[in-house]
Amino acid sequence: MILNYLTLSIVLFCLGILGVISRRNVFTVFMSIELMLNAANLAFISFSRLHVSMDGHVLALMIIAVAAAEAALALAVVILLHKHKGVLDTNIFSLLKG
Amino acid sequence: MTKKNIRKGALDIMFAEWLFFGLAGLSVLGAIGLILFRHPMNGAMSFVVTLISLAGLYALLSAKLLFAVQLIVYAGAIMSLIIFIIMFLNIQEHDLPDEEGKGLFLLGGAVVITPIALFLYKIVKSLPGSDTKIIGNGFGDVREVGLILFKNWLLPFEIVSILLLVALVGAVVLAGKKGVGK
Amino acid sequence: MEHTAQFYLGLIPLMPLIGAVVIGLMHVMTCRGDRLPNKLYAVLACVGPVVSCIMAFQVFAILRTLPVEHRILVHNAFTWFSVGELKISMGFMADPLSALMLLFVTFIGSLIHVYSIGYMADDKTFAKFFAYMNLFLGSMLILVLGDGPVVMFVGWEGVGLCSYLLISYYNEDQSNVLAGNKAFIVNRIGDLGFVLGMAFLFWGIGANNGFDYVSLRANAHLLPPAMTLVVCLLLFVGATGKSAQIPLYVWLPDAMAGPTPVSALIHAATMVTAGVYMVARFSFLYAHVPAAGEIVAWVGILTALLSAIYGMFQDDIKKVLAYSTVSQLGYMFAGVGVAAYSAGIFHVFTHAFFKALLFLGAGSVIYAMHHEQNIWKMGGLKKKLPITYLTMLVGALALSGCPPFSGFFSKDEILFSAYANGFKGIWMIGVLVAGMTAYYTFRMIFVVFWGEPKNKSAYDHAHEPPAVMTVPLIILAVGALLAGFLNFPALFGGHQLVSQWLAPSVLDHHPHAEAATEWMAMGASVAAFIIGISIAFVKFAKGVEMPVFSGFAKFAYHKFYVDELYDFLLVQPYKTIGAMIWEHFDPDVTDGPRKATAFLYGMAGSAFKVIQTGYVRMYAIYMVIGLSLISLLISQTLN
Repeated sequence: MILNYLTLSIVLFCLGILGVISRRNVFTVFMSIELMLNAANLAFISFSRLHVSMDGHVLALMIIAVAAAEAALALAVVILLHKHKGVLDTNIFSLLKG
Repeated sequence: MTKKNIRKGALDIMFAEWLFFGLAGLSVLGAIGLILFRHPMNGAMSFVVTLISLAGLYALLSAKLLFAVQLIVYAGAIMSLIIFIIMFLNIQEHDLPDEEGKGLFLLGGAVVITPIALFLYKIVKSLPGSDTKIIGNGFGDVREVGLILFKNWLLPFEIVSILLLVALVGAVVLAGKKGVGK
Repeated sequence: MEHTAQFYLGLIPLMPLIGAVVIGLMHVMTCRGDRLPNKLYAVLACVGPVVSCIMAFQVFAILRTLPVEHRILVHNAFTWFSVGELKISMGFMADPLSALMLLFVTFIGSLIHVYSIGYMADDKTFAKFFAYMNLFLGSMLILVLGDGPVVMFVGWEGVGLCSYLLISYYNEDQSNVLAGNKAFIVNRIGDLGFVLGMAFLFWGIGANNGFDYVSLRANAHLLPPAMTLVVCLLLFVGATGKSAQIPLYVWLPDAMAGPTPVSALIHAATMVTAGVYMVARFSFLYAHVPAAGEIVAWVGILTALLSAIYGMFQDDIKKVLAYSTVSQLGYMFAGVGVAAYSAGIFHVFTHAFFKALLFLGAGSVIYAMHHEQNIWKMGGLKKKLPITYLTMLVGALALSGCPPFSGFFSKDEILFSAYANGFKGIWMIGVLVAGMTAYYTFRMIFVVFWGEPKNKSAYDHAHEPPAVMTVPLIILAVGALLAGFLNFPALFGGHQLVSQWLAPSVLDHHPHAEAATEWMAMGASVAAFIIGISIAFVKFAKGVEMPVFSGFAKFAYHKFYVDELYDFLLVQPYKTIGAMIWEHFDPDVTDGPRKATAFLYGMAGSAFKVIQTGYVRMYAIYMVIGLSLISLLISQTLN
């Protein structure tokens, strides 16, 4: 049943949000975002199957491409962060503190 | 249709159901591992499990090209990159942030997210159900997806190519900065 | 033909304004480095007024070719603003009245610009002066040509501004700046009256029927009489400010702090007559309510009397002329007040010539005496300054009303109209003032030009100013001599050209009087003139030392202490109230709510500061919480 796939997609997406908001490790946060992207991909492909149309596949492909680009940039940022501060803690940046 | 064929079809469907639940369980377990493991390397390995099981789910949904791409690009290339960087930075236990109250955050987060999940589930439940029998007539294979990609989605495709180029240049500029003091 | 004229109408005010902008910009851009040569500025400054003057003559000529009842040319330059039905356009209108004003404003303006080239030659900020002068002329032309009260008000304020700028032109001296401030503030009081009058007029008829003179005139009868009276009086308050009438006359004598050409152009010939022009312009309103005209006439003639008294006891040559200007302005208001609008405007016209002439002559004297203005320190100058003396003599005769100089005809016209229209009291005061005018004018002439020189070294160095200054004097002297013949009375077989010309624009009340009455009125004026000049001759022709004033003379010399009275009654209480408000009302009452609000905002800020942790993760959590709440809300609406 398609419903099961979509439910799984919701579960994975929520786990991704949970990862982003509850973890401080840069890598984990980053991979949680990837997890959310994958959940979206799953939803796309499920709907594609539901409607027997392949536009969802194309979108999923593009999301993978965006994820690849994001990975390249985010990892560069992580390297910079590590170079500057020597840690992987997102809480090290709090310039916006009121 | 013969009796044997009907039985075989029912078996197929049942098999597919079992397969789905297996893979879904694996992917959820992988995701939970990702957000719970303290060391990012463990998290990454667990995330790979999720990605591979998702690839399997794509196959179950007849997305043959995506199945391959997920395995090769995602589970293969992107994750390799991430794991490579984790290893490259040579992260030790004391490098990791001391995440006090992680459990509290997880619990609170779960409470906050529940309404969102329920809301989404409500929407999904109202959709018409449909079986997910594997379609054989070329749905989701390279040729069909490629035709749609190059016919209907040509401009976004080109834009994505530019995006990748920009990301490449950006990554080089960011990571390649010299003279940044510790 | 008409199209050309309409085209000119837009250009006439524009030419001096362009000049002002160009000169101003050039001055601002070069004032730090090397200055550009004065000759360049002089040429630039004179181009605008002269071109305007030529175009003004063209417009006048074209207007003359039109039939009498169609002598109105309108040019709408652009729509200034439109609100709903109301549309105010930047429109210029030439009718006989504004065309006459246009002629002498541009003509005398051009002459004074030429004269200023000589007078201001040594000035450090030569260019600034001419930028202001051009700006003034442009504003004055907008005032005169405006096709409705709103456009007129633009010019009205523009000339006020230029007057302020030019009075305090020598701004190294604080008293000059104070004089400028005084002129500006007193004018503001008058302007309030103008604005209120305009508002009432708009409320009464302008809102529905158009707010330009043509429509206003056509619909004047729609305004209820009480309202008309209010509008007329409020407009007259504006006129008293601009034209220095009781009680707002106090600024004009102080305005003599400005350069002499400014006094000639702005504070004698053009700007100060704007009030008279306005009353004549709104003659269609004043004609409905004789009471308003009566008030105008009385205020005018009392101003004439008061300032003539002041004028008899001044020792500054420019102050004498300033009070005589106030006095003559009083005559003009008496003229328009007794519904002899064309007589009033004719006096504006002739006065512009002879008063500009007298001021420019005084400027020559001051120039020759190295900025000495006290008449008691001059004397005997007629040998040294023959051209100045002769031209000023013409101006003085015209001012005193000696036949057949121009002032005689115009003043006599006013006095005769007052008499014939039944204002015997005004006529009597007017004749008295005419005698006083002759007295103080010739007192000045005798003291300055006759007798023995008081200051030998200054006398020896005095010499006739350059031609650029004397030629305008001569032209103006010819004008002062001949302008009166334009309105040659019917009594002498003339045709009263000016009155006929103005007839379509103003609603004159023509008295029907016997020739004997006319002869009698004229005889009284001439007698007053002769008595006045005789007393002056007896007292001053021989040359006298500076008198010590005592008694009434001292009282008059100090201008009846009106300035001090105003200061005591109005300025000081106002300052006290202001200081009280500043010290007590402002910090406690006005600022209280503001401070409280600021305090509350501060409190709220420090309370909400807590959630701004600066951690990216926390912002993500807030986002998710918001999303979650929205989800809760929406999922309740779903079944």
